[in-house]
Amino acid sequence: MAVHTSQSVVKAAGENTARGRSRGTGTPPPTPGRLRRALSVHWYAWAMVAPVVVVIGVIIGYPLVRGIYLSMTDADERNVARSIGVNEIPATYEFVGADNYVDALTGSQFLGTLGWTLVWTVSCVSITFALGMALANILNRRIAGRSAYRMALILPWAIPGFVSVFAWRFLYNEERGLLNKVLGGAGIDAVPWLNDPTWAKFAVIAVNVWLGIPFMMVALLGGLQSIPSEQYEAAEMDGATAWQRFRHITLPGLRPVSTTVVLLSTIWTFNMFPVIFLLTRGGPGEATQILVTQAYKFSFEISPRDYAQSSTWGVLILVLLMLFAVIYRRVLRSQGDNW
Amino acid sequence: MRRGITATALVAALALAATACGSDDETGSKSSGELSGTVTWWDTSSVGSEDKVFKKLAEGFEKKHPKVDVKYVNVPFGEAQNKFKNAAQAGDGAPDVIRSEVAWTPDFANLGYLAPLDGTAALKNQDDFLKQAVASTKYEDKTYAVPQVIDSMGIFYNKKMFEEAGVEAPANLADLKTVAKKIKDKTGKTGLYLRGDDPYYFLSFLYGEGGDMVDAGSKSVAIDKPEGVKAFKAVKELVDDGTAKTDASDGWENMMQAFKNGDVAMMINGPWAVADTLTGKEFTDKGNLGVAPVPAGSAAQGAPQGGHNLAVYAGSKNLDASYAFVEYMTSVDSQATAAGELNLLPTRTSAYAKKEAVDSEIVGFFKPVVETAVERPWIPEGGSLFEPLRIEYTKVLTGQTTPEKAAKATGDSYRKLLEGWK
Amino acid sequence: MTTATDTPARHAAVRKVRLRGERSPLASVALHLTLIVASVVAVFPVLWVLLTSLKPAKYATTTDFFRETTLVNYTNLIRDTEFLNWFANSVIISALSTVIGVFVAATTGYAVSRFRFPGKRGLMWTLLITQMFPVAVLIVPIYNIMSTLGLLNQPTGLVITYLTISVPFCAWMMKGFFDTIPREIDESGEVDGLTPFGTFFRLILPLAKPGLAVTAFYSFITAWGEVAYASAFLVGDENLTLAGGLQKFVNQYGAQWGPMTAASVLIAIPAALVFLFAQKHLVTGMSAGAVKG
Repeated sequence: MAVHTSQSVVKAAGENTARGRSRGTGTPPPTPGRLRRALSVHWYAWAMVAPVVVVIGVIIGYPLVRGIYLSMTDADERNVARSIGVNEIPATYEFVGADNYVDALTGSQFLGTLGWTLVWTVSCVSITFALGMALANILNRRIAGRSAYRMALILPWAIPGFVSVFAWRFLYNEERGLLNKVLGGAGIDAVPWLNDPTWAKFAVIAVNVWLGIPFMMVALLGGLQSIPSEQYEAAEMDGATAWQRFRHITLPGLRPVSTTVVLLSTIWTFNMFPVIFLLTRGGPGEATQILVTQAYKFSFEISPRDYAQSSTWGVLILVLLMLFAVIYRRVLRSQGDNW
Repeated sequence: MRRGITATALVAALALAATACGSDDETGSKSSGELSGTVTWWDTSSVGSEDKVFKKLAEGFEKKHPKVDVKYVNVPFGEAQNKFKNAAQAGDGAPDVIRSEVAWTPDFANLGYLAPLDGTAALKNQDDFLKQAVASTKYEDKTYAVPQVIDSMGIFYNKKMFEEAGVEAPANLADLKTVAKKIKDKTGKTGLYLRGDDPYYFLSFLYGEGGDMVDAGSKSVAIDKPEGVKAFKAVKELVDDGTAKTDASDGWENMMQAFKNGDVAMMINGPWAVADTLTGKEFTDKGNLGVAPVPAGSAAQGAPQGGHNLAVYAGSKNLDASYAFVEYMTSVDSQATAAGELNLLPTRTSAYAKKEAVDSEIVGFFKPVVETAVERPWIPEGGSLFEPLRIEYTKVLTGQTTPEKAAKATGDSYRKLLEGWK
Repeated sequence: MTTATDTPARHAAVRKVRLRGERSPLASVALHLTLIVASVVAVFPVLWVLLTSLKPAKYATTTDFFRETTLVNYTNLIRDTEFLNWFANSVIISALSTVIGVFVAATTGYAVSRFRFPGKRGLMWTLLITQMFPVAVLIVPIYNIMSTLGLLNQPTGLVITYLTISVPFCAWMMKGFFDTIPREIDESGEVDGLTPFGTFFRLILPLAKPGLAVTAFYSFITAWGEVAYASAFLVGDENLTLAGGLQKFVNQYGAQWGPMTAASVLIAIPAALVFLFAQKHLVTGMSAGAVKG
């Protein structure tokens, strides 16, 4: 419901935002006179966004610039500035240009980790989407006990993520975890959930899907409820089967919601730190290490801490995500979606 | 960016000035002759067994110096190194005294985080300390820590299970395999638990094949020599043929539970595990725990020498009380208490003559082991050698790489870490 | 589930297409079965933690549902650990970063929703991109800056750090809410001679209260569940947040499932209660925010 109204309001808003006084976009670069005029017209809008601009500039912009700079140095634990009581140690790291980027992009570690990160992201998002869609469709029907089911299904979202991850770690333990004890009771050999590279990959994906389904389900359910029932009634009059109705009404109707949730959950999954960090710490070996956890490891877990390499990976991750977002938008637009 | 750095330096300089004033005050309190203030101590001993004893010992210091408040904090061993670095670099939240594993000490000292202890109250009767124990506390001719406990590794076994299977402690890898097989046949249990997530437990196999991580004498990397490959092969074989079981995560917990519950008959471990082991249901009778030297490999027999030191944070606001606390915790009496209650090995020669140490079978067993244990080079990178090895070791055990590739990959990381080494 | 209704539907199509809301008893059973299985999978891990927390620690890994039911894990947790401190830290840090985030971002959400002005496009993109920031790109520089300012290991430092997440998020999400408020209200304000600020504070803000609440809630739970910054920035035992504190129980050198499960339950209950009660609003809010968000 809300989805649909917001959608139409936004469109309306987009069309008549001007309200006669602001025609800012598309104006050529302002000359001093224009600037004064722009200021007199837009001062309140600028004043309203000022707090966010300032805050973002100071606490995101400055660190970001510093991070990019660090990625072009050889900064590590031993050459950054430290002040320890009486020992005062100044920074001695040097500018090395694009060396770190060349190393990262030509070495096997970054590309290998990227490969698994992509597998992880694509499988998590697609499985979560498919299951979330299925459950949303079921819950959108008239069915007894619907709200009880809904409560239960939303629960994984309501519990803080780190708590759930610890709970899963408890269940996964190879020797003493409940999962293997139940399997053992059924005569199945213990599964090395977190100890075998392939199983560990499966296990982390399963946990992330478990955590992600409620959001997906709820968002899609909202989308389903916003599809006008007249469309279905009309289709029924025309003799469309259930599958045809799903294919030609439900799916197109869900498009605005699903494009957004897929984008969001791709970004979230790509950067999903807690699941990997708390469940496997990237192990066994480096089998489940994704880009973000590996970058964290460079700066806080190895010795000497490699701040430069960590920043390099961070910048590369950001570039990848931005590329993804831009391409995603392009594709949607080329398909006639005015997102 | 340049400006950023200058600003950083300026802030740091101000902080320096502030701490300088602070230490003036401290000297003031010292001249009155009585120690006061708070000493925060980060202990890394096992929770539920060792921590109780150390906490009580620390409280004893408060009785001696009523104006000093010792704040005991137990930080998990696996996290302490990183937490200390986080805190020490920031200059906030760091403890006054940290229980620093031997390999961490040169690293911390190199980073400037530790206060030099020569000529302070922290060092007393230095000649009494075991020579091997003192080695890791020195960095560039200064002393940065005081040895608290020393240790090595041995094979821990369940005597009851050994009797049932009619076997004796294995002397070498071939023995180990036959012993494990007999145990499997007789009791249905696995022979050995081998920690797969911590390469420290791999070292005795590495030494057994005549290998090492690095050779500090010739400044060369040793792990990727044929001996290193053989060691990787040896542990892989143990897991593959069912002699040992292993885990790639939660290894400590799984090992201790399996051994305490009698699910495995042996584990390779050190004195630090004794107190916890004795809480297990198989060891309500303490006599059921047997300890033997680690099995020899094809070339030699050896276990790593390890231990813990107490070090003082260079930025501590209460240096004098911290020095005194370190001295107290490493005194003969404190070490005797730890030996008596926890079977931990003293670092002072005279503590071995104390009744508590003499009465402890475990201490008696480990003393000669420690004396012949393999000493690692005490270089700042000493602690950093483990992470690359951990990754490859776990990969070998879980079949993600071959022993040859693992040895080579570890060697490559070492060369990156140790500039200019061969 | 489509397949479940599919086949009967085709058969029925011969006579009459099966309408929505009608289905065979078989299909109903299949639907309920699917839902039951899904619900069990969703609830069980949480339920198991609750049951484990009520067993003495030595039975933590047994498969019995109940065994010598006791609250000893809870009393130990409260008495022997800094749990209450961690809880308080988490509440304070999350609440502060939420309140400041909402406060700073509210007018921006409105301006971006209503006006066209030079720089708007750039701002929108910035807000979008900052939400993609991997923790890895900012954590090192922020760590170093906080370290020189002496704010590491301080709640203030973490609050400032969390603002890097909450400010862009709140601005973006609130834009979605303001979009749903009819523009006629702005116009009536204008007719009454109110300035844009007056319109916003007197007319729009009161209408947007539910939206603000939802935004605040999401911002709160994001900070509440944050792991990476909290693990790296906080060191002292009593300074930790819950995400950092729980790692003391389960780590490389030990797994104390007794206090762990008890702590999990105490953390999860308030969060889950709020979530389930406010569910309707949250869902509406999420979809409003999500579609334009």
